[in-house]
Amino acid sequence: MTSLLPGTRPPKRLNRGPVTLEPLSGPGAATSRARERYDISWRRVDWVLAFAVLALCGIGSLLIASATRQYQLDHHLDQYAYLKKHLLTVGIGVALAILVARSDFRLVRAYTPVVYLASLAGLVAVIAVGSTINGARSWIVLPAGFQLQPSELAKLALVVGLALILGHQRDAGATGALGTPGGRELLQALALAAVPLALVMMQPDFGTTMVLIVMVVGVLAVSGAPARWVGLLVASGVGFGAAILNFHLLKPYQEARLTEFLKHSSVHTSSIGYNVQQALIANAHGGLLGRGLFTGSQTQGQFVPEQKTDFVFTVAGEELGFVGCAVIIALLGIVLWRTLSIGQRAGDRFGTLVCVGVAIWFAFQAVVNIGMTLGIMPVTGLPLPFISYGGSAMFANLAAIGLVENVRLRSPERLVALRGSAGVVNLVDS
Amino acid sequence: MRLVTGPRSHPRLRLNVLRVIVFAALAVLLFRLWSLQVFEHGRYQVTAEGNRVREVVSQAPRGIIVDDQGKPFATNKTSIVMTIDRSVLDRQADSGRAVIARLATVLHTTPAALNLKTRICTRTVGKPCWNGSPYQPIPVATNVAPQVALSVIEHPERFPGVAADTSAVRLYPQGSLAGQEIGYTGPASQAQIADKKSGYTASDVVGQAGIEGSYDSYLRGTAGVKKLAVDRFGRVSGTISATPAKAGDTVVLALDSGVQNLLEQSLANELTAAQQQGKPATTGSGVVLDWHTGQVIAMASIPTYNPAVFTGGISEQDYKALTSPASGDPLISRAFQSTGAPGSTFKPVSLSAAVASGADLNGTYACPSSLPIGSALFHNFEGESGGIISLHEAIVISCDTIFDQFAYNAWLADGGLRNGSGPYSPPKEYFTNMARAFGFGRDSGIDLPNESSGWVTDRAGELKIWNQMKATYCSRAKTGYPDDPDPADAELLKEYAQEGCTDGYLYNGGAATMFGIGQGQYLSVSPLQLATAYAAVANGGTVFHPRVAKAIVGQDGSVVKKIGPSVAGHLPVSPDVLSYIRDAMIDVTRRGTASGAFAGFPLDQIPIAGKTGTAEVQGHNDTSWFASFSGEYVVVISIPDTGQGANFAAPVARQVYEGLYGVGRPALLPVPPAALPKVTAP
Repeated sequence: MTSLLPGTRPPKRLNRGPVTLEPLSGPGAATSRARERYDISWRRVDWVLAFAVLALCGIGSLLIASATRQYQLDHHLDQYAYLKKHLLTVGIGVALAILVARSDFRLVRAYTPVVYLASLAGLVAVIAVGSTINGARSWIVLPAGFQLQPSELAKLALVVGLALILGHQRDAGATGALGTPGGRELLQALALAAVPLALVMMQPDFGTTMVLIVMVVGVLAVSGAPARWVGLLVASGVGFGAAILNFHLLKPYQEARLTEFLKHSSVHTSSIGYNVQQALIANAHGGLLGRGLFTGSQTQGQFVPEQKTDFVFTVAGEELGFVGCAVIIALLGIVLWRTLSIGQRAGDRFGTLVCVGVAIWFAFQAVVNIGMTLGIMPVTGLPLPFISYGGSAMFANLAAIGLVENVRLRSPERLVALRGSAGVVNLVDS
Repeated sequence: MRLVTGPRSHPRLRLNVLRVIVFAALAVLLFRLWSLQVFEHGRYQVTAEGNRVREVVSQAPRGIIVDDQGKPFATNKTSIVMTIDRSVLDRQADSGRAVIARLATVLHTTPAALNLKTRICTRTVGKPCWNGSPYQPIPVATNVAPQVALSVIEHPERFPGVAADTSAVRLYPQGSLAGQEIGYTGPASQAQIADKKSGYTASDVVGQAGIEGSYDSYLRGTAGVKKLAVDRFGRVSGTISATPAKAGDTVVLALDSGVQNLLEQSLANELTAAQQQGKPATTGSGVVLDWHTGQVIAMASIPTYNPAVFTGGISEQDYKALTSPASGDPLISRAFQSTGAPGSTFKPVSLSAAVASGADLNGTYACPSSLPIGSALFHNFEGESGGIISLHEAIVISCDTIFDQFAYNAWLADGGLRNGSGPYSPPKEYFTNMARAFGFGRDSGIDLPNESSGWVTDRAGELKIWNQMKATYCSRAKTGYPDDPDPADAELLKEYAQEGCTDGYLYNGGAATMFGIGQGQYLSVSPLQLATAYAAVANGGTVFHPRVAKAIVGQDGSVVKKIGPSVAGHLPVSPDVLSYIRDAMIDVTRRGTASGAFAGFPLDQIPIAGKTGTAEVQGHNDTSWFASFSGEYVVVISIPDTGQGANFAAPVARQVYEGLYGVGRPALLPVPPAALPKVTAP
C-alpha cells in the first residue's frame, strides 16, 4: 500500500508544533495518529480561501437585507427577518464546513455513497411530493417554513462520487495508460451521474442539469480521460441541447428563458424579458460607484423579480456599482483560484478531482448567474454561490468549501510549502 | 511505483486550461459589467427614473368669467366628491372589497357600480371607467351630501383609501345669456390630447367654445403635480416633489350683461312680432361695439343655448337636440359664425370706393328708377326715382341705381368680363379692394373661436374658384344631371355647367354691379364684420379686431394682462369722405329710410347715424339689416327671413340705444366703463 501522506515528516519552517484540532480527543496516541494522518493545524487552513468565502457570505447578507427590507416594511413584517434567517443559514453552513474540513477523509469517502443515495432519495421524493416553484418541482417543503432542495445535495454528492470513481483506482495504483482513467471507470462515472441527472431533468430543473453536465464533462476531462471521450461527451451534450430546442422538449417558459438572452436588446414583452430588462436597468442604474446600500431606487422599489435569490447580483449592481460588483467577482475569482490551486497540489487524485468539481460547479453557477443579470446568459434559475438567499444551496456550497479545505489540510506539507513556485510536482513513492 | 503528473500528463495541462477558461469567463463578466454600468449608465438612467416616478395631477380651480361690471357669467360651484385611492385599497387584505361594499351602502349604490367606475380605461375596457392616472384618487360620486361625506371621513379605519374632496363644477349663473360668446367646457378631445403643444391630458376639462375656449390657457390655471416614488407594484413609497395647483385667472369681459340681455330680449321680441306678421323668421343677431376701442359690449344670436348643458359632459340626447335642424342651430352664432349679403348697409363702403375711383364727392348724380345694364334692368328699390341728387341724398334715401352705376363703371374700367393676365393694365378693383379695407372677406380677428370670414370675390378670386371648379363643370356639361328627377331642372343645370365650363372665369358684370349695393354672389359678410366696418367710419378710419374680453385678472386681483384695442388696419379713405358719410347717415334716422323707426327718439340729444339694408336671399324672405352708430357705440342688427331693414332691424337697434342711454327707462351704459370692475376671487 502506497502512502502519500507526509505527516511523518517534520514540517519545514515551523516554529511551533502543529496545533491539532483534536485537543480533547483523548490520549496522546490518538492525537499522534491524527497528526500523522491529518496535519490539520490552523496554520494549514487556506485562510485566503476561507476569508474570501466569508467575505462573499457577508456581502451576500447585506445584499439580501437590502433586497428584502422594503418588502418587509411594506407588509409590516420584521424588516430583517430574511437577514436573520440568512445569517442563521450561513452560521450552520460554516459549522458544516468546519465539520467537513476536519473530518477524517476516510469518513468522507465512506459517507459518499450515503450522501449520494440520500440525494437520490431526495430527488425522487421531490418529484413525488415536491412543491413547484417557478415552474420546476425542486423543493420539498418542510414544516416551519423551511424548504429543502435535494438537487443542491446532488451536486455535492456527484462531486465526491466522481472523484471517488475517477480518482480512487489511480490512488490505489491500478493505473490506466499514462495515468488516465480507463473506459470502465469512465462508464462508471457516467452511470453515477446519469441517475441524478435524469431525476433533475424530470423536475425539470434545467439550470441544475446544466451544472451537473458541465461538472461531469469537466471532471472527466481533467481526470485525464482520453480526448476522444471528452470530445464525444461535449458533442453529445451539444447535440442533446440542440435536440431539446429543436423538438421543444423543454417547457415553453424554459425555452423562453434560454432564448430570451439572445434577443435581450429587442423589445421585451414576456415576463422573462421583463426580468432581464429590470435586471439590466438596476445594474446600469448603479453606475461606477453605486447608489449606496439600501438606497437603490430600483432595488428598494422591488422592480427586479427574484431579487434575493437568482437576481441578487443586481442589488450589488445598483447599490454598490461597478466597484462593488468587481469586488464580488474578484472574491469569486480568489475562491476559484485557490480551489484550483489546492486541487493542483492535492496529495491524491481524489482531492484534485474534488477541487476541480467544486471549482467547475461554482464557476459555472457564478458566470451563468451574473451573466444572466447582465443579459449575456440565459435565465436558468441558478443561485449565485455564497450570496443568493437559500439554505440548501448555502449548505452545499459551504460543505463543498469544507471539502476543499479538507483536501488542503491533508495535502503533503511540502507541496503546501512550495505553493507559489508552481513548478512540476513529482510525487515519488519511497 | 511512480505516480507521475509530469509534463506529459493530461490532468495538469487540462487543469490549467480549466483555470484559463474560468478566468476568461470572469473577465468577460467584468467587461460586460463595465460597459453596462459605465458606458450605458446614462441611457438606462432615464429608464430607471421612468420606472419609479409617477405623477399625480390635481386640477386647478378654473378661473371665472365676469362682465364689465364684475357680474359673473361663468363661475364654479363647489361639489363634494367621494374619491377612492386604488393603491390604498389594493393593499387591503381583500383588495378593498369590504371597503367598496361599505361605501356602496353609504352612497346608496352597488359595489359593482363602484368597481366599474374605478377600473382603468384601456383599449378593451370602455366606459364606465377611469381614464386618468391609476395613482390619482378616482372620483366615484359627485354632489355628495355633506353629512354623508362626514360619516365616511370620520371613520378612516372603516374607509381606508376613501376621501372626500371638493371639486369645482362649472356654473353659468346667467343661464343662456351670451351663451354662444361664453362657450362651454368639456373633456379634452382626442385631437386636443394628441396635440402635444396643448399639454392637455385625458382627464382635463377644457374650454371648447367661446371665451371658455379662446381664453382656456388663462382660465385653466396650472394643475398641481405631485411626483411620487413608487415600487414595482405601484405602491407609493414617498413624495419626490409637489407643486400645488394654481387657480386659473379671471377673464373680465367688455360684454355688459345688461346690454346683452336687452339685445337678446329685443331680438327675441322682434322675432316674435315678425312671426306674428307671418314672416318665417327664426333667427336674428346683433352686435354692439364700443367704436373707440372695438370692444364688444353685446353680441347676440337668437336662438341661443345654456352652456350648462355641457357641464360634466353633455348627454347624446341633449347634443342631438342642440344640433337638430328644428332647434335652429343654437350652437352657431349668427353674429359672427354666419354670413350673408349686407344689402344697402354696404353703401358707405360703396361710396368710399366710388370716390376712390374718381367720383366727385360733392357732385350730383342721377337716381333713375331703373338702370339697363347689358340685357338686365336694375331697379331702384321699390322702383322709385330720386331725380338728380347728391351722394348725401343717395345715402339718405338709399338710392340703388347711383351705386349700381358706380360699380358698373368700375367693372367696365377694369375690363368688364375680362379676367386673367393679358397685354393690359391690371384691374383696379376699387370696390372689392375697398370692401377688404373695411374688413370684409377675412376674419375680423375677434377673440372667439370659429368665426366666419365671408367673402369678397374679385377677378383673381373668380379665376381661382373657376380653376377649382372647372373640371366638375366640364364633366357635368358632358354628362348632364341624369339623376335629377326634374328634366327641366336638369337641363337648366346642364346649361349652367356648360357656361361654367367655358366662361366660368369671366367676371360677371351683373354680380359686380350688385356688389355696389351689397348684393350678389361676390359679397358675403357677418354682422360682426359690418359692425367693425361701421366702427371705422365712426372713429375716423381705424379698423379694430373686436375684443370680447378686456382684461385677465389674477387670483389676487392684480391685472395679469390688459387686452387693449387691437388695430387691424386703417381705411384708405380721407377724413372728409368719412365725415361726409357720417353726416349723411345722421340724416337717415332724421328724415331718411330709418326716420320711421326712430320717430320720437331724442336724436337731438343722442344723434344716431344709421343705414338700413334689405338683402335679397335666394329662396328666402329678405334679410332685414340696420347698421348704425351713436357717439359711443356701433349697433348692427340682422334679422333674416323678414323684410325691409327699416321695419325689423331698425326698431331693435332703437330699443338698444334707448336702453344704453336711458330713453324712457334707466340708462344701462351711457358710456363704456373705463375702469375694470373689482373682481373678487371665488
